[in-house]
Amino acid sequence: MSTKKLSIQRYLPEQEATPYWQEFEVPFDDSTSLLDALNYVKEELDGTLSYRWSCRMAICGSCGVMVNGIPKLGCKSFLRDYPDTLKISALSHFPVEKDLIVDMEVFLDHLAAVQPYLITNAAETDEPNRQTPAQLEKYKQFSDCINCGLCYSACPQFGLNQEFLGPAALTLAHRYNLDSRDQGKQQRMPQLNRHEGVWSCTFVGFCSQVCPKNVDPAAAVNQGKVESAKDMLISLFKG
Amino acid sequence: MAKQSSYLPRLTRTWWLKHRYFKLYMAREATVLPLVFFIGCLLAGLYSLLQGTESWAGWLAFMAHPLVILLNCLALAASLFHAWTFFELFPRVMPLRVGTRTIPASFIVLGQWVGVVAVIALFAWILGSGS
Repeated sequence: MSTKKLSIQRYLPEQEATPYWQEFEVPFDDSTSLLDALNYVKEELDGTLSYRWSCRMAICGSCGVMVNGIPKLGCKSFLRDYPDTLKISALSHFPVEKDLIVDMEVFLDHLAAVQPYLITNAAETDEPNRQTPAQLEKYKQFSDCINCGLCYSACPQFGLNQEFLGPAALTLAHRYNLDSRDQGKQQRMPQLNRHEGVWSCTFVGFCSQVCPKNVDPAAAVNQGKVESAKDMLISLFKG
Repeated sequence: MAKQSSYLPRLTRTWWLKHRYFKLYMAREATVLPLVFFIGCLLAGLYSLLQGTESWAGWLAFMAHPLVILLNCLALAASLFHAWTFFELFPRVMPLRVGTRTIPASFIVLGQWVGVVAVIALFAWILGSGS
């Protein structure tokens, strides 16, 4: 079995104040994912390495890291696709706690701010909330988000200003605004209309490139701009 | 906010030099620079037209300068490049539906280019019949 070099950015605040790079040689074949390689490092080479993971199948969104400067899911990246050394570091634009573990609190705060759940005026009943396939189709793509945060690491606007609600939160807001069962749009629009809402996006579009679930957050955010412009015009006429 | 024990590297001014994707984005945004020059030329032309024959002749001479022609050619290339990026992004921002069916993005992109060709053809016809 051939081997490949991983260069991993370590950060151990209790030992050193600044991060440093450490190299590891790992065996690999065609089926070795980056997550497998990290597990090998932890089990066989250095037990102090810290990183997050859970499902191993691009569903939980835990194992996001930077691979050669590009945000990737460890479980969905394969060593066979990288001819040279893989440079692994923690997700960009988030505070790093230890090694490859980041603090995602700011992202979770932004998610909560857009109320990403069904808001209905109707009294609760036991009746099923029916929806036609055409109504489902309107928002389905935007509901595939797994909250992995790769889009935030890809977004220079979020990197420059952490107050920007960011791709995933704005996409979820748009997803619920498009849902025929939801009546919460008026509660969400003030968040989207803010400068740190949809208008901080300059359509760099890299968020959509790195999204492991093909959600296309850049499209959702910019559709949100159209909605925000409509909302502002309507409120202008209403006085 | 970053806690005491965590670190948050700041984005440097050169962040956009790191990937091809970011460089393309910055190229798209930078297309405004030669376009500002072109608009400046147009406004100066209108102004000199109001000032009289001598001023107008001066503007014509300015527009014939090789450097000005070069910059305006750059502006044309920049506007075509910007149009290309804009046309590609448009169907993602405004997905159009007919009834319950979404119009394929490629149709919308093609439609926009047909519009460009139609406008160019219209102007060619107007300018051609005027001379």
